[in-house]
Amino acid sequence: MTASPLKKVRLTGLLLLLLLAFLLDLSTGTVNISLKEMLRVFFSPSTADPTWQFIVKEIRLPKAFTAVLAGCGLSVGGLQMQTLFRNPLADPSILGITAGASLGVAAVMLAGGSMATLYAIKELGVSGSWLIIGAACLGAGAVMLLVLILSRRLRDNVMMLIVGIMIGSITLALVSIWQYFSNPEQVKDYLLWTFGSLGGVTGGQLSMLAIVVVIGLIVAFLSNKMLDALLLGENYARSMGLSARKARTVIICSTSLLAGSITAFCGPIGFIGIAVPHIARFLFNTASHRILIPACCLIGTTLLLLCDTFAQLPGSQTVLPINIITSIVGSPLVIVLLLRQTTAHPW
Amino acid sequence: MVSAATTLLTARNLQTGYRSGAKKIVVAGGLPELLLQSGQLICLLGPNGSGKSTLLRTLGGLQPPLDGEIHLGGTDRWTPATLARKISLVLTDRVRGNNLTVDSLVALGRYPWSGWLGGLNATDMACIEWAIRVTGIGSLRDRKIHTLSDGQNQKVMLARALAQDTPILMLDEPTAHLDLPSRILLMRLLHQLARETRKAILLSTHELDLALQVADEVWLLQSGGQLRSGAPEDLVLNGSFEYAFGGEEVVFDKGSGNFLIYTPQDKPVRITGEGLTLFWTRRALRRAGFEPVADAGLHIRIAERDGQPIWLVEHQGQTREYGSIQKLLQALA
Amino acid sequence: MANKHRHLFLQVEAFKIKNGLLCTPIDNHVDMYLIRSFARLFLLVFTLSALSCRQVTSDKTSPATGENRPFPTKSRIKYAQNFTLDYFDDYKEVKILNHSAGKSDTLDFLLLPAGVAVPEGHAHAQVIRIPVRSMIVMGSPHIAQADFAGVADRVTGVGDGQYVFNPVVAEGLRTGRVRQVGLETNLNNELVISIRPGVVMTMTNPDAAFGEYKTLLDAGIPVLPNADWLETTPLGKAEWVKLMGALTDREALVDKKFDSVVQAYLHLASIGKTSAAHPSVIIGMPFKGTWYTPAGGSYVAQLLRDAGAGYHWSDTRGTGSLSLSFETVAPEALKADFWLDAGDIGSRQDILAQDSRYGAFRSFQSDNIYNYNRRVNAAGSSDYWESGAVNPQRVLADLIRILHPGVLPADTLFYYKQIK
Repeated sequence: MTASPLKKVRLTGLLLLLLLAFLLDLSTGTVNISLKEMLRVFFSPSTADPTWQFIVKEIRLPKAFTAVLAGCGLSVGGLQMQTLFRNPLADPSILGITAGASLGVAAVMLAGGSMATLYAIKELGVSGSWLIIGAACLGAGAVMLLVLILSRRLRDNVMMLIVGIMIGSITLALVSIWQYFSNPEQVKDYLLWTFGSLGGVTGGQLSMLAIVVVIGLIVAFLSNKMLDALLLGENYARSMGLSARKARTVIICSTSLLAGSITAFCGPIGFIGIAVPHIARFLFNTASHRILIPACCLIGTTLLLLCDTFAQLPGSQTVLPINIITSIVGSPLVIVLLLRQTTAHPW
Repeated sequence: MVSAATTLLTARNLQTGYRSGAKKIVVAGGLPELLLQSGQLICLLGPNGSGKSTLLRTLGGLQPPLDGEIHLGGTDRWTPATLARKISLVLTDRVRGNNLTVDSLVALGRYPWSGWLGGLNATDMACIEWAIRVTGIGSLRDRKIHTLSDGQNQKVMLARALAQDTPILMLDEPTAHLDLPSRILLMRLLHQLARETRKAILLSTHELDLALQVADEVWLLQSGGQLRSGAPEDLVLNGSFEYAFGGEEVVFDKGSGNFLIYTPQDKPVRITGEGLTLFWTRRALRRAGFEPVADAGLHIRIAERDGQPIWLVEHQGQTREYGSIQKLLQALA
Repeated sequence: MANKHRHLFLQVEAFKIKNGLLCTPIDNHVDMYLIRSFARLFLLVFTLSALSCRQVTSDKTSPATGENRPFPTKSRIKYAQNFTLDYFDDYKEVKILNHSAGKSDTLDFLLLPAGVAVPEGHAHAQVIRIPVRSMIVMGSPHIAQADFAGVADRVTGVGDGQYVFNPVVAEGLRTGRVRQVGLETNLNNELVISIRPGVVMTMTNPDAAFGEYKTLLDAGIPVLPNADWLETTPLGKAEWVKLMGALTDREALVDKKFDSVVQAYLHLASIGKTSAAHPSVIIGMPFKGTWYTPAGGSYVAQLLRDAGAGYHWSDTRGTGSLSLSFETVAPEALKADFWLDAGDIGSRQDILAQDSRYGAFRSFQSDNIYNYNRRVNAAGSSDYWESGAVNPQRVLADLIRILHPGVLPADTLFYYKQIK
């Protein structure tokens, strides 16, 4: 239950790796900025080239912070779902929260029919990226509410899992209908959104995202005892005094906050949520959530920062969508880990 | 004599079963008052489908009773959290890999007692150590759950329940999947625990002979939901076992406390002899379709020659001699 | 606000999506495969029938040309690269070309006056009876082309009515004379057939899955991809009005008007190109970290060159748009003098709402942001995408007035508006 010295060493090592990845992400980009310039930006802003200053402080830094938040949130959300459902394939999107966010975005981006809605919202003074974020939050929140209401009525987490997947597919079907009736231009905008992006979150949005993600992480960490108990299955958990419904509610709330907000601000980012918990279990060889939650934060963040670095495509002026990179970089990683695992059951 | 037993759990007018929407599916209806007393080992016996697990889960608080009340420590209003400090369970649910080590699994038993964040204090650690010691799983501490054998796994789950440090311990078919020595060892351990820790232990099992040996009380659940309880010997003598398990195909032998695999047939035989040889000869003849009776035309006499048993078959005035039970059976066939 | 044609250069991308990527989320690869195979077959047949006359410009007339033939005025295509127009004794032939992706597929159309039989050797060409008196158009530029030719009243159907700016067509929509037939991805075939138009004009890439129009073709309704957006110069784009002229037998009027457009444009371009200063401009607005900006070979880049703007990506290759990271554009964006076509925004506040970092741009601080949303309809659709397509001289004049104040006689801008 307590962290052994070896685990502390590994956590520290990961923290260092994370810092390195953060610096690497800051120093790479489509524009070449030398390390000297970079240091000047941070330590002697008055002498730094204002363009470099803008790029580093206004573009790269927020992007890196967003990667940190998304990396933590998605991997911890995935860990919670995998434990709650005792299913190694679960990820934060499994309850349909992400699909809900997509539905919200589709509602404002797609189909001529939503023009009127849009106009109304514009009259209310909400516009631009906040509009998309607001819509995504509404969609994610609506699905979360629905899932929570249903979860009060269901005894069993397996049923919950099925219900979650069903809600997700209904939601995505709605999005598909919307796509079907939309212009190619609108569909393109929507598709771009589904590619995910860490680069669009700045200023007030970043603070907002940070607040929600930190709340979600705190709830997750406080529920680590519950999560541990759930490892034994619902019956044992209940026999140890855990109220299954309460635990489910707390965990769903936390995951929804994490996945919903991150999807709303960054678009869907796949893979991290499903893979990082496995990597954390492999590296720390433990089932204790007191260790796994911080481990997931560190690994998820490092991985997402590295993915963002890879997305910069050295020598090119284009950035690949992050959602593509996470899968391309991450999937082989998981396969390698599984192959290296000596014992029969990775899970 | 041990100190006076205190009643830890009382269940009255209990009706177990499931709710499916508004519909009630009753598994066991007319249950008598059930008492769990400290220091007692109670075996819950019954044929398949009689509702042993359902009763155990109901008493253990995993599923609500359809009717009736369960008093625990003087109250029938308990929360999952208070219940968890009264009753610990060993279930048939298989705990899969999960990367869990034996150590941390046993430590999870402290869940009802540990702090909000799951931190463990000295008392917790002592309980864990004790549970690991009495179950003898010290050598397994760092093993992953999924690498354990069934017997080891059962011991670990028992250790987890013991770490939970509750006055009542319930086990659902703890001897399933275990080989005979492990079954005996587990039963003996439970018997000792009941004596030494004054816990009330309720376990469901199919191990009739073991149950008859270790149980202070037997709850005999019949298909249909009737339950007879009492000292195992009383239940044997008053025919409850035959009533509960008996049918045309299955026969309970009061003489041995066992079920007979072969139904007796109409081939009377008189057997004379003594000791173990007599016991095993009777078994063998039963298997071959003979019914030992006081007087019959066929008489098998067990004698001894040079320290070895021999079997003398007397039939219609002739006597033949055989050197082993196998040869005897071949001759009779 | 999702304006139908937010960035015209985006349309190229959009159609790629429509024809390729779009099927991915809908998850019907098999269907798409079938449709595509069918389209390929279709195009192959067309191509075979047209192998002999594969010329871009149409300076060829029929050998038997006489004075008293039914086509007194013969339009000659000079700027447009993606269609040809040939005149024969008693019919006209239009070929829609597709140079994209290294292919040169051709769609063959015969424009036959009433009563003229289909000539030999054209069994697989689509036949359009001229003059066309009723047409369903899918794109905003088509409406502008019809208006240019003076036949806006012949538009009897549009894809989506809320994008329409033209008063004649808008009025038709109100009275029900003009019907909405749905988007190209979801055409209401029954409605289209019931209208019995002389032609359906689509915005489809000629290379696209033509099979989706099979129902209409089977019903005898010709489907003509009017893909002016494939052109890489403003004049080439505008010259597609000549296709409208040929369809309606109004070549004389259209040629005359187009010539004056060309004259005005070339005159303005000579002023713009030789201006003393070349203020730097940025175009568009990043979306989710990616900044789509016109490639050097696009007609927008050409417009900017003609207007005497300094455009950083003017020398890049490609006719569509470049997908650049925000970071790549940032050094230019920070110091650019002007910010044009900044997307769906109506005020400086809107820009900050999109992303507060844009406030750091010089163009933002010096109030030099211009958008083509001076003429928008109730749904927010801009006339820039409609009449702007056939009036490049007006667009160019706007740009020169914005970039080089005082060079042209003072006048209000036509399509553009300063963002305040």
